[in-house]
Amino acid sequence: MVLRFAVLAAWLALLSPAFAQQRLQVVTTTTDMRSLTEAVGRDLIMAVNLVPASMDAEDYQPKPQDVLRIKNAQMLVRVGLDYDLWVDRLLAQAGKPEISRGGPGYVDASFAIAVLELRGMSVGPGDGHAHGSGNPHYWLDPKNAEIITGTILEALARIDPANAASYQANRSAFLARLGAKLVEWEAKLAPLKGMPIVAYHNSWPYLARRFRLDFVGFIETKPGVPPSPAHLAGIVKTMRERGVRILVREPQEPERDVAFVASKTGAAIVKLAASVGALPRTDDYISLFDANIKALTSAAAKQ
Amino acid sequence: MIEPLLFLWPSFLVAVCLVGIHAYFGIQVLARKVIFVDLALAQIAALGATVAFMLGHPAQSAATYGYSLAFTLLAAVLLAFTRAWGTRVPQEALIGVIYVVAAAAAILLIDRAPQGAEHLKQILTGNILTSGLNEIAVIVPLYAAVGLLHWLLRRRMTGTGALIWEFVFYASFGVVVTSSVAIAGVLLVFSFLIIPAAIGVMFASTLARQLAIGWIVGTFTSAAGLAASFNFDLPTGAAMVCAFGVALAVAGLLYPFLRGNRQNALRVATATARWTVTTILAAAALQLAAAPRADQPLIDLIEVAVPSLRTLYFTRAEHATFVDASEYAERYRREAEQLNEVERRNRTQGVAFDDFFVARISSFLKSYGEMRKGEQFVMGEVRARARERIRWSVSLGLLALALLFAPVSWRRLWTRTSSCPAWRDRRRQNPVFARQCSRR
Ligand SMILES: [Zn+2]
Repeated sequence: MVLRFAVLAAWLALLSPAFAQQRLQVVTTTTDMRSLTEAVGRDLIMAVNLVPASMDAEDYQPKPQDVLRIKNAQMLVRVGLDYDLWVDRLLAQAGKPEISRGGPGYVDASFAIAVLELRGMSVGPGDGHAHGSGNPHYWLDPKNAEIITGTILEALARIDPANAASYQANRSAFLARLGAKLVEWEAKLAPLKGMPIVAYHNSWPYLARRFRLDFVGFIETKPGVPPSPAHLAGIVKTMRERGVRILVREPQEPERDVAFVASKTGAAIVKLAASVGALPRTDDYISLFDANIKALTSAAAKQ
Repeated sequence: MIEPLLFLWPSFLVAVCLVGIHAYFGIQVLARKVIFVDLALAQIAALGATVAFMLGHPAQSAATYGYSLAFTLLAAVLLAFTRAWGTRVPQEALIGVIYVVAAAAAILLIDRAPQGAEHLKQILTGNILTSGLNEIAVIVPLYAAVGLLHWLLRRRMTGTGALIWEFVFYASFGVVVTSSVAIAGVLLVFSFLIIPAAIGVMFASTLARQLAIGWIVGTFTSAAGLAASFNFDLPTGAAMVCAFGVALAVAGLLYPFLRGNRQNALRVATATARWTVTTILAAAALQLAAAPRADQPLIDLIEVAVPSLRTLYFTRAEHATFVDASEYAERYRREAEQLNEVERRNRTQGVAFDDFFVARISSFLKSYGEMRKGEQFVMGEVRARARERIRWSVSLGLLALALLFAPVSWRRLWTRTSSCPAWRDRRRQNPVFARQCSRR
């Protein structure tokens, strides 16, 4: 009986707006940033992501609700590197200087990241990114989570100094878990070292660098533009010459083009998630890597 | 030479099949004046597939095709029964409404299931390059059946018969479009439908001849588009659509020469060409005079083609600065590329760089980018100043050139104004002057 009352009381407390108000309201652009922010904030914060999982963050169309979410937020975490440019317009519309560039609650998670494939302002040949701010998929190196959570911790401690110690402890616990996992992942991916892989989109340089994977080509040359026949023929030729057996596709990428290349070369298609929640069983940052690494190793084992 | 052929022949066969059926439907669609009906039907079919997808059916299942077909047939009923509208509201209005409502409804549905967005896009974009024998095995029997049906009903398919035949027309067209849009995408299917048919209708009056012309033009244009796409490294669908556009433009240019008064056509063509040149030159002159620092499309284009033209208006010092800056910009670009390449190779080869080293590479790359931007700014500034200096003389020259090209007979204009100038009009009442003017 007492237990039942306790459960009821806890349930009511969760529902009551007063309780929700106590938690720090955080808005992130992507699910990855949300998962990392939650790893630091745990139950002290209430985080929402604007772009649904598995939707392309680069051409996201904000909805009216998003302005409301921004208005209620005390902190904003974005990917930066021109990956989520649309959030600037939303911030201007919501008129919240405290979470806009320069404000205490503004976090550009790309701060202090060693950006790969920087090309100034022009687009390099064969690169899948429209803008020259470097490859924005930096969260796919688990080591970068250390830097990202560091930036998030700094901002959380700035706007909520009372809980700074808890945030610090949360982050340390998360990094310890991640560190243990990293050793496990490195061991699992060791057999794939130097194994040539082709992907649809160039989302993987950070993952490749951390785990010494060899992405030798990409089907897509510019975002949203179908590959030309010369480029496809070149990819097929490279794959035959180098004996590529693995073809990586993200769930939102065109199935047909990848299946076409696979049918020409006999490579196996491996579905990887470049973001938390893009595939089943990728509910947080750590399980994202668990799922991807499992998919890669089982495909490599079948060869 | 062999490699592109090996790579492109399946797409070419698919294109020939699509041209075959769409040229026929295109002629029918042109006769009915329902040009955009294929877009509406394709969008409705996509909406049907989206509904199936929302209900949990996999993308390429029989249930999904069933929903697509059901929605298309529903639209066919609507289209057949609203033919009578034509007298008051054009049927094209209804077609447009079907298109936008179906597109908007699909977006609303997809909003609830993000993973469906790509699926919806795939239904409507297609990629003829990655299609092949699998698709041919489906569409050849299907199109043959539809073609046979229309041949058997050829007396009924005039667009003036009973409503039931209109329904048969739209339903079979819907089936064809649903399959073809998934293969080739909306843009390319629209080109297959309208352009060969339009060229056929332009140059022939019987259905058989129109079809023959449409098929020949469509086949050759598809081949040209595919070849251009391979040679110039272009996305296939877009290259083919542009090839069809060029085909229509060429046909349109040839039409007056083949069908109309040849001399008159030549005169009109020359006048058009001269007016175009005059307008471009005059606009370039005005742009240079009004905003010498802004983009000068004509001058920029000429300078890209003939870079040495810059020496004509740059001073020697300006030219030296310009060349120097462009060399440095190129050097920074090359060095950044090399650094990127070193980093890329190190991901798998040699001893892995530690994170600090990678961070240093990253900041080097950033500096190279900034320095290159600086050099490009110098180049732009030098050019802008040189152009400001020659602003008046060159724009006057361009204007004079424009006048030279203008298809106006200057001599006649000159003699008329000098022999009968405006200020003499006041003396018009004087019959002697009036007669003199009119005689000249
Ligand atoms: Zn990307």
